[in-house]
This record gives sequence, structure tokens and C-alpha cells, in this order.
Amino acid sequence: MNAEPVLSVRELVVRFATDAGTVHAVNGVTFDVGAGDAIGLVGESGSGKTVTSLAVMRLLPKAGRIVSGEVVFRGKELTTLSEHEMRGLRGKEISMVLQDPLSSLNPVLTIGEQIAEAIRAHEDVGRRAARERAAELLGSVGIPGAGDQLERFPHQFSGGMRQRVMIATALVLHPKVLIADEPTTALDVTVQAQVLELLHELTKELGTAIVLISHDLGIMARMTRRITVMYAGFVMESAPTVELFARPRHPYTVGLLGSIPRAGADGELRPIEGAPPDLERAPVGCPFEPRCARRIAACRETMPPLVPAADASHLVACHNPVPS
Amino acid sequence: MNARVPLLSIDDLRVHFPITKGVVLRRTVGQVQAVDGVSLELSEGETVGLVGESGSGKTTLGRAVVGLYRPTSGSIAFRGTDLGTIRSEDAKGVRAQLQMVFQDPFASLDPRWPIGASIGEPLRIHGVGNRRERRTRVGELLDVVGLPRRMAGRFPHELSGGQRQRVGLARALALRPALIVADEAVSALDVSVQAQIINLLQRLQREFGLTYLFIAHDLAVVHHISDRVAVMYLGRLVELASGSDLYGKPLHPYTVSLLSANPVPDPAVEARRQRIVLPGDPPNPASPPGGCRFHTRCWLRERLGSPERCASEDPPLRGLASGHTVACHFAEEVADSPVQRHAVGAGD
Repeated sequence: MNAEPVLSVRELVVRFATDAGTVHAVNGVTFDVGAGDAIGLVGESGSGKTVTSLAVMRLLPKAGRIVSGEVVFRGKELTTLSEHEMRGLRGKEISMVLQDPLSSLNPVLTIGEQIAEAIRAHEDVGRRAARERAAELLGSVGIPGAGDQLERFPHQFSGGMRQRVMIATALVLHPKVLIADEPTTALDVTVQAQVLELLHELTKELGTAIVLISHDLGIMARMTRRITVMYAGFVMESAPTVELFARPRHPYTVGLLGSIPRAGADGELRPIEGAPPDLERAPVGCPFEPRCARRIAACRETMPPLVPAADASHLVACHNPVPS
Repeated sequence: MNARVPLLSIDDLRVHFPITKGVVLRRTVGQVQAVDGVSLELSEGETVGLVGESGSGKTTLGRAVVGLYRPTSGSIAFRGTDLGTIRSEDAKGVRAQLQMVFQDPFASLDPRWPIGASIGEPLRIHGVGNRRERRTRVGELLDVVGLPRRMAGRFPHELSGGQRQRVGLARALALRPALIVADEAVSALDVSVQAQIINLLQRLQREFGLTYLFIAHDLAVVHHISDRVAVMYLGRLVELASGSDLYGKPLHPYTVSLLSANPVPDPAVEARRQRIVLPGDPPNPASPPGGCRFHTRCWLRERLGSPERCASEDPPLRGLASGHTVACHFAEEVADSPVQRHAVGAGD
């Protein structure tokens, strides 16, 4: 939080035009990530966490549009860059790892060809040199017999190996920022542990900033230093990880933490009643209001701004926050 | 087991699936030993959690219990009656006692039927009551799972994930079963909704004296809901203990590594504990390793200087004084070790 952030998202608004109307997917999201830092975006389905990351990468599907807000990467505004300029950044400066590596790998190219292609798209190196780097890289992510593995196709790899390949490819050009969207959700827990470990080690070694997107609060606790909690396209709360778990202030965050079974906390879970809202409704007031146990009259009128709660690093958007 | 007959008794169950090759000349070239010699008893009113990774056989075991798969060998008995040898006219009544709830209720509900018809279908098939009585029962079932009665006329696509899972439960409860196999029943739901369904499952258990076989990969959810927990690896049961024993003092090296790998929502615990990261992926269940099936990935074996016994001798499940049942030659080495303490997040 001290130095200039490497990536800074300010008041980002993204909407989708659908047959049924406008979907208000992201409604003013703000967060920073510093060099070598790891932050988490946490939220349930429809919270806008994935759309936020796609907007940062400028990879929104056709129906989606950045309506307003800024995405500043090392002093450069990304929302107004041309597609050509953006291509120079994507994969090289800002990289992404998705949940399902099988859908992001090309099934008819060998693993070696795909990694070499990523290198050659950005750097002026020969085929041979690119291949050597690819082999080296597979070795560095713990894939045994890396040289031979280059000749294999994605379907010949297990889920965990494919995700390692994706991480290797995403980090091959030493990007400044890595966005990892549910990178281990499809994996078994022991394989997930391998992948998280790898992600942690490599980014630490290279000083890459991570934006980790997940619904899993355990992964957040392990991997991040700061967490931004999203709901219906809004940031509800943002605080250092330890602080957020110890002293959550937003009723939604408190509800999330009460919904997960935790060691030593026997008895009934305290779930949030109701279901997440319909994003086709234009957001008036706080979207959590219908489910909130602490709602007051103001909650229906206006969305509260994201402001410091106790100290400057703990931000909360709530008219009636939980006392600390 | 004294005079009391367990509600469900699984004895040395094997479920193997043939691997076939060829279209015209179809021939069996191997066997996937999905479940390979599992014994487990469930008492009336208890919840037994079943955890394990892909290929562990936990789903196959659950499906065999409700009769979706035929055992290759071994037996499943319900209140002492072997389901494999039961007379077919009695089978329907017994099968009604064993119900299943799936991960994705959307896939198990007919999209063209209003949900009231789906909930009432088991009643119709089993010839329970007349039309009016069945409609009343559907209304009661909706009450029980916390859905408004007017929902009976809605279609599956109009419901949220949590509501669909409530419908799945209502349908499973229609015939007043004794046992429900819940296979990843809350896994697809958002955290806040998941907690609602877990609470509902617990309330239904208290109200109707249900017994649950709760299959899930989420270790925290299983801990929360289960009285006892069974851990499977490659078709075998490797550890069985009460929830507090298994999560507090795991004895099988695989259980230790599962708990160690599982991130817990507590930054302080995550910061201090050392983790065991297992190498590689679980082996293919079509060709499991000889000896102990876990020996190829076992961190304990490595620490003990790779004893030959693990590779050659299949460890039987054995009961220990602590109340654990564990299938490991060297489980005593795990007890009260620093590795065990770190795995459960207790620190040094």
C-alpha cells in the first residue's frame, strides 16, 4: 500500500446489453495492487468479480462495455488504449489464468508450440530459443521430463498439469500483474495445494502482483494480503486480510463468514437469508438491503460510498456497519 | 456390534467397471476398481461423511447404496436385509427407504414438469394415496423444505440453485425414507445459500430421524455436518473416525495430507502452519499401485526411508485404541507428530 500501485482500478462500471435489457454487472469497483502484492476479489456468483477482471484485460464479450471508470497500469490508462496497443500489454505485462485450462489451451497444438507461441508473440526470438525457454519453464513448474512433454497435447495432461502449464505460460514473459480467476476451483484439494504453492513461489520470485479471484475464503486467507468483497457489482468492503477476518464491518461480509463452517465454531451456521439480486434491475440503494439484517431507511435510497471504517486501510460501504 | 442391527451395513463391497475396447468385437480389456473392498456401517440417525478426491470411489459407493450400481461382490444390507438377494416384490418397499440427493438438482428434474409433479412422482410410482392426497402431500413437502406452496406450479428453470436443491430434497423425502445419500448436495451452491441448505438438512434430520451418508469434497462442510467421517483413496477406505478425532488427530498419511492441503478461512492458521504438498496426481483407478495404494505419493513412507512393506503388503483396516480405524502399517508414527499438529492447524 505504500508505493505507487502497479494496477489501479477506479470506479469501474461495466454493463451488458442483452435481449432482456441492460445487465449492471459492475457498478463502480475500486481497488489497487502494488508490486509483489497479492490481493483477493471475493464474492458469490453474479458479484462481478470475473467481469471486473475481463474488463481490466479488455477481454469483455461483445455485449459488454466499460461505461466509465479508470484502469491505470503503471501510469497508463488502459480503457482508452487501442486493441493493437492492448495486445502489446496482454500476456506480457498483465497476464491471466482462468479456471478451466482446457478451454484456454488450443487442443490441436502441442504444449511446446503454445508456450513458444506466447514467447514469440512478444519477443523477437527464434523457434529454437523459444522452445528451449518453454522446456526450461515446464521444468520450473515441476513437470517431470519437460523436454518430452513439449510434444504432448493438452488432453494428455491431467487437470493439475494443465493448470501448471497455464501458470507457466502466463508467467513466461515476467508480467507485472497476474490475474488468476478461480485458478484451482476445478482441482482436487491435494492438487490445488500444489498449484497454489507454485503460484505463490513464482510470483514471489518474480515480484509479480497477483489479483486472485475466488469464492473460497480459505484460499483467500492463505494467499492474499488484502481482500475486496464484492456483491452485485459493488465493492462492499476492502481491508487487509487479517483485519477482514478478525473485524468484518459490512453485514454481507459478516454473513459470508457466518455461512462457512469453521473449526471450533460448532452449532448452526448463520446463513444470509434470501438469494442474490437480479442484475437487470438498475441499482438504486444498496443491493444487499433486501437480505440485510441491519438495514435502515437510508439503505433503500442511496448506495453508501466506500469510506474508511476504523483506519484508512479498512474501507466499508455501509450506512449501518457492524460495530467493531 | 451387539444386538442392535445397524441401519445400513456395507460389507466388503466391490464395484468394478469393465473397460471395453472395439465396437464390433467388444472385449473387456481391464477393470476400473471404483470401489474395492469397502465395509462400513451406519447407525440410525447418524451422519457419516465420506470424503476423497476424484477417482476415490465415493460417488460410486453412494450410488451402489441406493441401487444405481450393482455390486460386483460383497453386500449391502438395510436393517439386516441383504439388498442383493431380496425378493423383487419386497425390493420396491426397501428401495423407497433409500433416497439420493444429487449435486445438480436441475439435471435430475424434468424441465417440462412443474416441480409439484416432480416432487409427487415417487408417490405416484409407489402408488401412495389418490390424486388429492398426493397433492396435499406435495404441499406438506414444500412446507417442510421451506418453499411456498404456490411454487408447485413453477418450472425448474424459474428457480434459483438453492430453491432447486430444496425441491430435490422434497422429492427425496416424499416416500419418508430412513436414509438419504447426499452426493455433493451443496457443492454447486454459493456460500450463503449453501449454509441455508446445510441448516435445512440438519433440521430435517432432527425432525424425521434421518440417517445421512454425506458425500463431499469440501472437508469443512463434512466436518460440520458429520458424526463420523470416512476417507477414501482409490477405491479403498483408508481411515474412519469420529469427526473430532479425524479432524483433530488424523492418523492416515493421506488424511493428514488432505487436511494439510485444505486452506482454512483463518489467516493466522494459514500463516503459521507448514503444509505437506503431495507430489503428482492420484494414480489411475484402472491400475492402482500394489501394496498400499497410497505408497507412491506417501510422504510418511519417504520419511521412514521407503520401507518395502508399503509396496508389497496391502495394509488392512485396523482399529486403534484411540477409536480410529486406519489402513496404514505405520499409523503410530503419525500420532502426536509435529506434522499432524501442523496439518490440523494447531501449530507447534
